[in-house]
Amino acid sequence: MLLAKAALGLGGTIVLAGAYTMREGVIRVDVDEYRAGGSHVHLWVPAAAVPMVMHFVPSKHMRHASEQAREALPVLHAIVKELKKYPDADFLEVVDRDQHVRMRMRGGKLQVDVDAPDQKVHVLCPLSAIEDVTSQLEEHARGA
Amino acid sequence: MSDRNRAFFSRTALIATAALVFSPLGVLAQSAAAPASSTQSTTSVSKDRWLHVRVISSDAKGETVRVNVPLELAEKVLPAINKNRLHDGKVKIDDAHVNDVDLRALVDAIRTTKDGEFVTVQSNDCDVRVAKQSNHLIVHVLDKQNSKKSEVEVKIPMKVIDALFSAGKDELDLVAALHALSAQGDTELVSVKDHENTVRVWLDSKNVTD
Repeated sequence: MLLAKAALGLGGTIVLAGAYTMREGVIRVDVDEYRAGGSHVHLWVPAAAVPMVMHFVPSKHMRHASEQAREALPVLHAIVKELKKYPDADFLEVVDRDQHVRMRMRGGKLQVDVDAPDQKVHVLCPLSAIEDVTSQLEEHARGA
Repeated sequence: MSDRNRAFFSRTALIATAALVFSPLGVLAQSAAAPASSTQSTTSVSKDRWLHVRVISSDAKGETVRVNVPLELAEKVLPAINKNRLHDGKVKIDDAHVNDVDLRALVDAIRTTKDGEFVTVQSNDCDVRVAKQSNHLIVHVLDKQNSKKSEVEVKIPMKVIDALFSAGKDELDLVAALHALSAQGDTELVSVKDHENTVRVWLDSKNVTD
């Protein structure tokens, strides 16, 4: 009986933690370089984890990042705010015989795809994650 | 533990378990509902004005560039950019003079003039036409110099030009121009055609290019 309760508690916690973590979607980064020694990076990160992880970044590094990004932050903030109004839209597409570059919004996520003969890059990022990063950098910029 | 308490805890555990089990379904349901809400959003933003740029190159690489920008987005983002000559959505120009031409005076003159042809040049090399027509400034250039002709057509609403020059002296108000542009109907603003490239800049309510 005790074991059952413990299992229920553990299972419930895992399900709850999973649901909480995945509620804002996943940041997905896929990079494949087709050359000798080329890197292959495939990264899936729950978007909700980003602000949590940022709290553990040492203040001096956050301040440094804020200073570096100071000029871009208001622009980024404005872009994210406006992009929310266009959850499904194509903004940029460049196609030629060999390459295909695309920047668009799909389901409230910013999607950047680069398909070239020597590399493929696919990035999918929920706007909420970009907003969280921007907000935290802005807070540190104000505090600096 | 009394029977009453045991029943209470059992019920609580059952409800908690059900909530935990179904919470991911809730998340999934939200995700599934997202496209529907997206469709709604797309519909709701369909009244928005989009500026489209399309470049099609017919050279060996066959490059095609498509850019779609919501005017509202541009209007909100531009004031946030403060770099070099661009501040608060306005671009500084030197004394409003370009090659000793007083642009502001020129715009004032065009604004107050009735519709008509201002410049017409016809030669073996090229044809040039600058006119004001139905509250639009039209510039048409046909280059006939080589065997491969090229043609440029620019058609800008006068209200947009007015808005562009509505800022203080020595400034162009880009945000005001975009705002004025958003009040216009579907229109083609720039068209360039030569033997290798076709460039089109136009305004409509669609968030995708054809």
